[in-house]
Formats: sequence, C-alpha cells, structure tokens
Amino acid sequence: MKDRYLKYALLAPALLVCAATLFYPLLQSLIYSTQDWNLGRSPAPEGFAGLANYAALLADPDFLGSAKVTLLFTLPSVLLTIVVAMAMALLLADNGRLQVNARTLLVIPFAMSPALIGISWRFMLNPEFGVADAVARWFVPGLDAAPILSDPVLAMAALIAVDVWHWAPYFMLTFIGALAALPRDTVDAAQVDGAGKIRIFFEIMLPQLWPVLTIAILLKTIFSLKMLDQVVTMTAGGPGVATDTLPHMIYTTAFRFYDLGYASAMAWLLAIVMMGLAMLYSRFVMGGSK
Amino acid sequence: MTAHVDLSLAAPLTKARRRRGQHGLRNAAIVLITVVWVLPVLWIMATAFKPPSEAAGLALWFAPTLANLFASFDVPYLLGSRLLNSVLVTAGTLAIAIPVSTAAAYAFSRFRFPGGSAAPLVLLATQFLPPVIIVIPLFVVFRNLGMLDTRLALVIANLSFVVPYATWMIKGFFDALPVDMEEAAQIDGASRLMALWSVVVPVAVPGIATAAIFSFVVSWNEFFYALVLTRDHAITLPVALMSARTEQGDAWEIMATMGLFIIAPMLVISRFVQRYFVAGLVSGAVR
Repeated sequence: MKDRYLKYALLAPALLVCAATLFYPLLQSLIYSTQDWNLGRSPAPEGFAGLANYAALLADPDFLGSAKVTLLFTLPSVLLTIVVAMAMALLLADNGRLQVNARTLLVIPFAMSPALIGISWRFMLNPEFGVADAVARWFVPGLDAAPILSDPVLAMAALIAVDVWHWAPYFMLTFIGALAALPRDTVDAAQVDGAGKIRIFFEIMLPQLWPVLTIAILLKTIFSLKMLDQVVTMTAGGPGVATDTLPHMIYTTAFRFYDLGYASAMAWLLAIVMMGLAMLYSRFVMGGSK
Repeated sequence: MTAHVDLSLAAPLTKARRRRGQHGLRNAAIVLITVVWVLPVLWIMATAFKPPSEAAGLALWFAPTLANLFASFDVPYLLGSRLLNSVLVTAGTLAIAIPVSTAAAYAFSRFRFPGGSAAPLVLLATQFLPPVIIVIPLFVVFRNLGMLDTRLALVIANLSFVVPYATWMIKGFFDALPVDMEEAAQIDGASRLMALWSVVVPVAVPGIATAAIFSFVVSWNEFFYALVLTRDHAITLPVALMSARTEQGDAWEIMATMGLFIIAPMLVISRFVQRYFVAGLVSGAVR
C-alpha cells in the first residue's frame, strides 16, 4: 500500500471515533443552544430560538451567581494546589528512602476515583461521626456546631481543600521533575556565596521554574473549571447554591430540569472560555518543546 | 554536594548539629504530609471492615468483619453486577481505544498532514472541554436509539476521551523512537504496515502499555458519563457509590466496601504509575 493511502487508513478509525463522539456532539450541542427545547415537554427541539438562550443567560442571576461560585472555587483551588504542590516537591525532591516511599504513597489519592473522593470526604466530614470533622473541630475549637457541609462558606472551603488534596500530589510529581532538570551550578554557586535556602528558592530556582509553573497553572485552571464529580458526590451544589459551579448547574439544568437548549447554551459559554485557555496551554507546551 | 565544604575549622560541629536538626524537621514534615494524604484512604478502607454499628463512629479498634462484603453483593447493592459492568466497560473501551489510538499516533508521528500539527492539537484541546457539553447530545442520541442504560453506550461515551488521550500519549512515545529501524526494515522489502507491526510496535510496547494503564485509570474511575447514561442495568462502580445513600440513611460501610473495589486496581499499579507519571505529563496527555 502506498504511504499516501496508508496514513489516512491508519488515521481513519480514530477519526471515525472522534467524529461520532466529539465533533458531532459538539456541533449538535451548538445547534441545541439555539433551540427552544425542554425534553420534559417535547422529545424533539421545539423551535429555533436564535441567540435568545444566550441573551437570557447573560441576564439570569442564577447563571451569573453560578459563574461567581465557579470563580470562588477556581481561584483558591488553583493557587493553593500550586503552592502546596511546590512545597511538597521541595520537601520530597531528594532521592532518600523516606522521600521515595512517600512519593509512592502520595500517588494513591490521585489515582482514586473523583466520585469516591467526594463521597468519602462527605462521610468523613459528617458532624456526628466523621473523622475529618472531629479533627477540624480539634484544631478549630470555636467552630460552629452545625455540619461543615451545611455552612455555605465552610462547604466551599471543604470542596477547595478536597480538590487541593486530590491534585497536589500530581503537580508535586511534575514539579519534582522540573526541579531535577534545573542546572545545579547556579544553586551551588549561591550556596557557596552563603545565600539562605529561601533566598535561593525565590531568586534562583523560581525564575527558572516559571515556564513549568505557567503550564501547571493553566492546566489546573482548566481542571478546576471542569471539576464536577466531587460537587455531585460531596455537596450536590449546596447548601442552597453555595457550591453550585457552572458544570453542576449545566448538569442539573439538562438532566434534572431537562432544559436542553438552555443547558447547551450555558455549556458553550463555558467551553469558549476553556478553549481560550486550552489554546494558551498548547501554545506554551509547543513553545517549550521547540 | 562537595561544592560547599566549609573550610573554617570552628564551624563544623555546630553546623552538623544544625543540619541534623533541619533534617529532623524536614522528615517530620514529610511524614505529616504522607499521613494527611494516606490516612483518609486507609480510613475508608478500614470502614469497609467495620460492623455497620461502628462504621458511623470514630472507633480505631473494632472486630473486623466480612459481613459488609456479603451485604454489598446482595440486594439492593448488587456489587457483583456493578463490578462486572465496570470490568466490561473498561475492557471494551481499552480493546477499541488502544489499537485505534496506536494507529493514529503512528500516522501523526511519521506522516505529514494538511494543516501541519493542527490535527493532534485539536485532539488535545477537546480534552479541555467540559464533559457536560458532549454528554447532552450523546444522551439524546442514545435515548432515541433506545441505548440508554447499556454498557455499549458507556463504551462509546468513554471513547470520546480515551482515544484522544491515548493517541496524544502514544504519539509522544513514537516521536521519541528513531526512524532508522523502520527504514532498514523497508529497505529489506517489508511494507510500511509490516514495519509498523513487526518493528515499531514491539519497541513501543512500554509506551503503549503506559498509555493503556493511564487509559484504564480514567476509564475505571469515570463517573459523570455513567451517571447520566445509566439507570440500573449498566451502572458502574463509581455510580453505584451513590446507591449507598438511601432513604433510611447512608450505608457508609457499603460505600466503603464499594470503594475498596474501586481502589484495589489503583493500589496494584500505583508504583508503576509513579514511574511513568512525568513521562505522561511531558507528552501533555493528562486529563
């Protein structure tokens, strides 16, 4: 077989899969987003709505509130994950026996199913018998007696903390890789000059780590924006709408209220933001590998 | 580390003592971190073996029981059928995704396509979309075809993220392989396809296996598509967790038992995962 045909033959199955499971659904949800369609009322779209769904969204206080909740989750979760992961990486970068064993153990939470993580933490945060709840109250004696997950602020804090717990080991491993790739000579020279560890980190290592950090921050922002499993299993968006992030609101709009047109419009607005971030990300990744 | 040997004679003793103190502090921090990250997992695993009366409690000592295991496999939790669904859906997904992705990865790695590197990048970018945007049309299609709550529907849905993910990852491994061997094989008269099968694939097996393991992890742990597309028959383990939340209250020991089955394969491969983790990230293939 000629290479010219072979290359398309090799690609064809993957292209077929992607066309059926990605490109077609994407196009279809874009079409739905311009339709009036509640699945509870009608099994097929109920008519063309133009941009009415999008216009309604921008004036919908629930949607804007959910967007705010999403930001309130995303910003701290990204920042804390990166900071905690970097601190862990600095502690665990050496190849001592303790470090190597700790690294192996720390991978386990990352490989855990996000749904299991969410439901497990809901269990452990139960005020009557939850172990995490007991520990939290031991450290913060003045904590309100009410369940942590039924307090709007604490529920969000718990969701963020669990997300950091989930992702920090992963970014730790990437940072350890980046730290190992740093040239030793500048650090050694600074040590000879008597610079302290903290100064060496901020003035010599951090500037060289910026490319990796930028990619990590972009990646974690994308992950935070699409995080959904833990919201469903841990807080279900509650109490009230305190943790009702955009992916969760889209999910409930589509599959609890069956408003497929409105949900699709919401999904596309979110997707546009994420595509922007994804383009930035691929530019950085490509730039780094050239 | 010999670069900063201290040459003054008075300093060494105190300095060594201080360093030992610092190391002690650092080791304590490492242990604390490990405890914070591992203890919750152990707690859940222990809960699976607690009698129901003690599952909702802070007991550190308890008489371990296998009663939860039997209860989980019984009505109404049907862990056996959920487990079978998880195994079949994951196996089906990998059986299709890995060959398809390997072929596509080879094509992207060795041939030029119109648009340059745009096609693999588009593939990567789809991984950053919120899953909910894909699942609404898939739900409608499967509903119209009467395929809701089937394992096949779930396999198809899982392919939407496993194929791009595995393709991008395997492409990274092919990119790192020298082309010399294939060219040598072709000079010997083998066709390109033969060269791929008999020369490239055997060398790339570690890379393909790594991609398969990562694909296994994301597919095994997948929750959202299964939540939307299944009701009863095709429910997989992560969704089955939700069934431990009943009207009569939460059966946490059942939840923990199901969790045990979700975690078990991860424990087996976690050592392997760590070794290839950074390799996986370098190729950008992380969901």
